[in-house]
Amino acid sequence: MIEDRAAMGPEDSAPEPTPEEVQRPPGPARYRWYVLAAVVVALLALPLFRPMISSYNYVLTLGALILMWVAMSSSWNILGGYAGYISLGHSVFMGVGGYVAGVLLYYHGISPFLTALLGGLAAVALGFLAGFITLRTRGPAFIISTIALLFMFLLMTDNFEYLGGAAGLPLPPLEVPQEWLRVPFYYAMLFIAFGAVWTSYRVAHSKFGMGLRAISEDETKAEVAGVPTRLYKISAFAMSAFWVGVAGGIYGYSIAFIRPTVFFTIAISAQMVLMAIIGGKGTVAGPVLGAVLIYAINEFSLVVFGATEFNIVIQGTILVAVLLFFPLGVVGTLRKMNRLPAFLNWD
Amino acid sequence: MGVMLEARGLNKGFGGIQAVNDASFDIEEGTITSLIGPNGAGKTTTFNLINNVIRADSGSVKFEGTEITRKMPHKLTRLGIGRTFQVTRALDDMTVIENMVVGSSAENLRGTFGSRMLDSETERALDLLAFVGIEKYAYSKAELLSYGQRKLLEFSAVLMSKPRLVMLDEPAGGVNPALLERMVDRIRRLNGEGLTFFIVEHNMDLVMDLSDSVIVMAHGEVLTRGTPEEVQSDGRVLDAYLGMA
Ligand SMILES: Nc1ncnc2c1ncn2[C@@H]1O[C@H](COP(=O)(O)OP(=O)(O)O)[C@@H](O)[C@H]1O
Ligand SMILES: [Mg+2]
Repeated sequence: MIEDRAAMGPEDSAPEPTPEEVQRPPGPARYRWYVLAAVVVALLALPLFRPMISSYNYVLTLGALILMWVAMSSSWNILGGYAGYISLGHSVFMGVGGYVAGVLLYYHGISPFLTALLGGLAAVALGFLAGFITLRTRGPAFIISTIALLFMFLLMTDNFEYLGGAAGLPLPPLEVPQEWLRVPFYYAMLFIAFGAVWTSYRVAHSKFGMGLRAISEDETKAEVAGVPTRLYKISAFAMSAFWVGVAGGIYGYSIAFIRPTVFFTIAISAQMVLMAIIGGKGTVAGPVLGAVLIYAINEFSLVVFGATEFNIVIQGTILVAVLLFFPLGVVGTLRKMNRLPAFLNWD
Repeated sequence: MGVMLEARGLNKGFGGIQAVNDASFDIEEGTITSLIGPNGAGKTTTFNLINNVIRADSGSVKFEGTEITRKMPHKLTRLGIGRTFQVTRALDDMTVIENMVVGSSAENLRGTFGSRMLDSETERALDLLAFVGIEKYAYSKAELLSYGQRKLLEFSAVLMSKPRLVMLDEPAGGVNPALLERMVDRIRRLNGEGLTFFIVEHNMDLVMDLSDSVIVMAHGEVLTRGTPEEVQSDGRVLDAYLGMA
């Protein structure tokens, strides 16, 4: 365990902060609520503008994907950002949701629009169990144990006939005219994104979230101060699984099949991490911005450079550049510099 | 006045080093007891064994008659044992007042997932920060505090949970004389109100001045125990310090 970092601090020479009285920080500007309202209205209204959007299905598919990633990286952030426990296996929960909803559709004909929430609950149950075991470790050992969890599920689904094995299960498509097919998926993902961001916001503003932040800074100190660290960590793990599971349920339906490699790969998990880190892990707005940024960068370089290898190099370069200038992610770094615009300040 | 804390046969080895060797002692309720001894004597480890930050190899601890040997540290905090660290461990990225409130127990789920800070907690935190004179920094990041102010922050944060026993690990270390005087005065006042203190300290003037009882450790063992006068005139104590020098 941790003890006695032997070096004594310097004599009392650190510069004194100068405020005279108790200075309460000003609350964030009210205009952020108007920005939020405008964004919500725009997102809700987007599918109504069918005649004005040339590639309607493409736009809605892309929108639904971005919303899904907003939800997943915001959920990952509860454990990885607030509590500081980096999971590289979070897509396991997406897979659990995907398979629960997919199997109920394939064998019993129940719509994932009804069962995705069930998939989320299954993910929570797994989150508790996995947290109970893996959270005995920390740092690199924890990261590796989350990857192991991912491989376990890849192996299991690969070899389980009932689940379709490596080939997976084809899902019957939603019976809606082709031109409207993307609309229900778009609204489902919008709902999931709202749910996930709201959950993240509530956690950030609760005593629970404060405990998680303390854990990420100094776990022993948090424990001695009175934070039930183990309970909090496991709860954070379980909570961060929920919306990822729900999103997985809807996602499988939207691509009309479930298959181990759709979910149980490190690349999918790493994407959640990358988005949270680029946007600013540990902040409410960071993962949201990160998901949007990554998609914006991808679309931009696709349009400019085409689907070539050069395009991938460009994407990588942009990401490195962003992290170079914003080491704590965009939101985290701007906040540290006191330059964060109020509409991104939800912490 | 009864026995508040009862340590029996505590042992802890780190590899080849027996950091604490069969240590037994009582802390009387309402007193200020100091634990002294040369560097490496096992004082901090003893603290860690009492509040279970480190698990003892053997031995037991009772607090107010209850067996607490295997209880998690946060439970002990709730039970009424507060503890500070030798090297301050403020949560730098959080504000001073968040450092105060972070450990306060939420009574139920609503409290846990409700607001970060209740008005009553804010009020109590500001009172305690004022008690040690750093209330004006309440909403600054803890990293902005000087070393001595951080010691004061830890000291006042420990009081948030309304402890009955406060364990301070070198509260005076690295603190300038003005802040030190303030700290000593606050310890006296709280002790006057009935709070029990268990203090590891190197500053002998302070120890002799404050303590009702002094426990001396060397090489992991409890060497002797007595009033400040008794301990000062005990040749073995001097030997222990000189032997280390
Ligand atoms: N976590 C640890 N790992 C290994 N050795 C330790 C650890 N903590 C303390 N020690 C050793 O145990 C002995 C007692 O240390 P400590 O309790 O910190 O002494 P004190 O607080 O009296 O200066 C020392 O020899 C120290 O090096
Ligand atoms: Mg020590």
